[in-house]
Amino acid sequence: MNRVFRSHIIDITGIILIAILVYFISFSSGLGLSFDIPPSLLNLNVIFISILIEALPFVLIGVLIAGFIQIFITEDHIKRWIPKNRTAAVVMSCVAGALFPACECGIVPIIRRLMSKGVPVYAAIGFMLTGPLINPIVIASTYMAFGNDFEMAGLRMGLGFLIAIIVAFSVSIIFKSGQLKESIHLPHSSEKNRSFLDRVWSMLTPSIDEFFDMAKYLIIGALLASIVQVYMPAKTFLQSADNPVVSLLIMMGFAYVLSLCSEADAFIGASFSSIFPKSSVLGFLIFGPMIDFKNTIMMLSVFRMKFVLGILALTASVVFFTLLFVQNFI
Amino acid sequence: MKIHFQQALRALILLAFCGLIFQLHHTGDITKYINPKYVRLSQSASILFLFLFFIQITRIWTSKGDEVVHKHHHGQDCFHQDDHTCSHHHHDHGDTPFTVKKLLSYSIILFPLLTGFFLPAKTLDASIAEKKGGLSILGNQKQEVNSSESFDESDFDLEDYSFEEEIAETGELEHDLSVNEEAEEISNEEFERLKKELYSAPAIKMDDKVFSLYYEEISKDIDKFIGREIEFQGFIYKEDGLDSNQLVISRFLITHCVADASMIGFLSEIEEAPELYDNMWVKVSGVIEKAAYNGTEMPMIKIKEWKEIEEPFIPYLYPLTIKIL
Repeated sequence: MNRVFRSHIIDITGIILIAILVYFISFSSGLGLSFDIPPSLLNLNVIFISILIEALPFVLIGVLIAGFIQIFITEDHIKRWIPKNRTAAVVMSCVAGALFPACECGIVPIIRRLMSKGVPVYAAIGFMLTGPLINPIVIASTYMAFGNDFEMAGLRMGLGFLIAIIVAFSVSIIFKSGQLKESIHLPHSSEKNRSFLDRVWSMLTPSIDEFFDMAKYLIIGALLASIVQVYMPAKTFLQSADNPVVSLLIMMGFAYVLSLCSEADAFIGASFSSIFPKSSVLGFLIFGPMIDFKNTIMMLSVFRMKFVLGILALTASVVFFTLLFVQNFI
Repeated sequence: MKIHFQQALRALILLAFCGLIFQLHHTGDITKYINPKYVRLSQSASILFLFLFFIQITRIWTSKGDEVVHKHHHGQDCFHQDDHTCSHHHHDHGDTPFTVKKLLSYSIILFPLLTGFFLPAKTLDASIAEKKGGLSILGNQKQEVNSSESFDESDFDLEDYSFEEEIAETGELEHDLSVNEEAEEISNEEFERLKKELYSAPAIKMDDKVFSLYYEEISKDIDKFIGREIEFQGFIYKEDGLDSNQLVISRFLITHCVADASMIGFLSEIEEAPELYDNMWVKVSGVIEKAAYNGTEMPMIKIKEWKEIEEPFIPYLYPLTIKIL
């Protein structure tokens, strides 16, 4: 009896919510252009919304995978899979990231779940750095953007992998575990005996909570990135392109603030290749997918501020010095 | 029975995201945000949101029984901590009391929904072109001289001419009608054929489909194209430091979403340049010449004819995707 009553109420609530939304949509299309808003703000809004629309599918996939990890993967699994040896764990996590097709905004909820399940921090970082950088779509787009030439795509993947290993290894030396912002205690392990369908269901509700946790950081990051795009004049920076050190720093800075999706940044990178030397363009292509503005803000939802800044500084300097070192050979 | 208003708010937000994406598809404005190639991806996001919405509405009402289970559940997690810090530090399930901090985070999430629904979708304009680096970024792509690619021009001339016309016409038709245009994926042969056409046709017609390909080819080796006739359309962008009869007629190339727009276009010389203004769309024909800007060589178009046009429904260009297999 109560159950029947309840399911009716749920139906009705759903219908009411849909009605509210339909009302708003019809209201909005009537309102249209009547505001007098400066064009730069409209430009800002278009870029901001487009970043969100681009990122949302990946974030949703990310939170669903995170939900999946929470329900289906136990601490015991993780203990068995991750090698005891630290070096082996670092290498393995980087390889796993390379095999796992992700994008830099979808990967944050995933590593958060993995770490709460007991994955050591250095392995999580290795996974986070290679996940968005090395995957088939990125390889293909880089290949095409640079005039169907495998050299840049190859260098991007190879050097990126090397850099990720160096960073993850340094993390394992410098940082202790327990860098998570809050101890995320999970309702675990009584789930084992339940039916598969039940478990799927209980994977979905935490996914929704995860989405609401992530969404606000994603939105702030996207907003900041679009403000930079609309108000920062790239031109003034482009004029100081002669010095290889300065130009590498400029390109890495660009990659960071523009916060492009790793699958789309190759064409932008290629458009700079007439102005900047190859090593600087590589800096853009490698640093951007690893860490950017949007991604840093999202990381703040998982890690302590100090740790996020540490990772940022560490990754930036490893990318910088590696490229400075190799620029004579490429 | 107890109603949870926060859960209801969350359900509404999920539905609103679904609705926003759906509305953009419905009106066709989605092309002002992302490359149509990724339309499927954002559609599936919309469907996922709807799905999560249906799951979320089951959480709005809880009966007494559920409540007890839930409390118990939390109690177990907090076993090692004192209760206060636990509820504070716990991952938010949306059933803790409503605080200022929460108000802030819900407002952040509502913000893009409001601007997305209420502000019109605008096309990127000349001011963005300037911020993207303007002319200095247009400089030539890599200087690769590919000697194997010289074609015997006379072979193609006649038969390709009529064909080319046809393509131009159908191209324009397609362009008007379809918003949900399928991703343009072409085979390698098609790609080579388009390239050949560039070299053989009497006048180079820069359709939206081939614009970026032809642009790249022309910039790569300007000398081969000097003196050729060219036709294209784009918006006007003027930059400081150009002569009074010079301007740039450009387009934005969108790989994924408008945030990664890169500008491509031709420096052009046109007598009436002072009368033309930023963001005005024009269709032009002219002859390719070579010019130098800040020490980089780039193609320059001497415009012979021009007319003002409406901004196209799909103002952006998208890179050609070639099937690699």
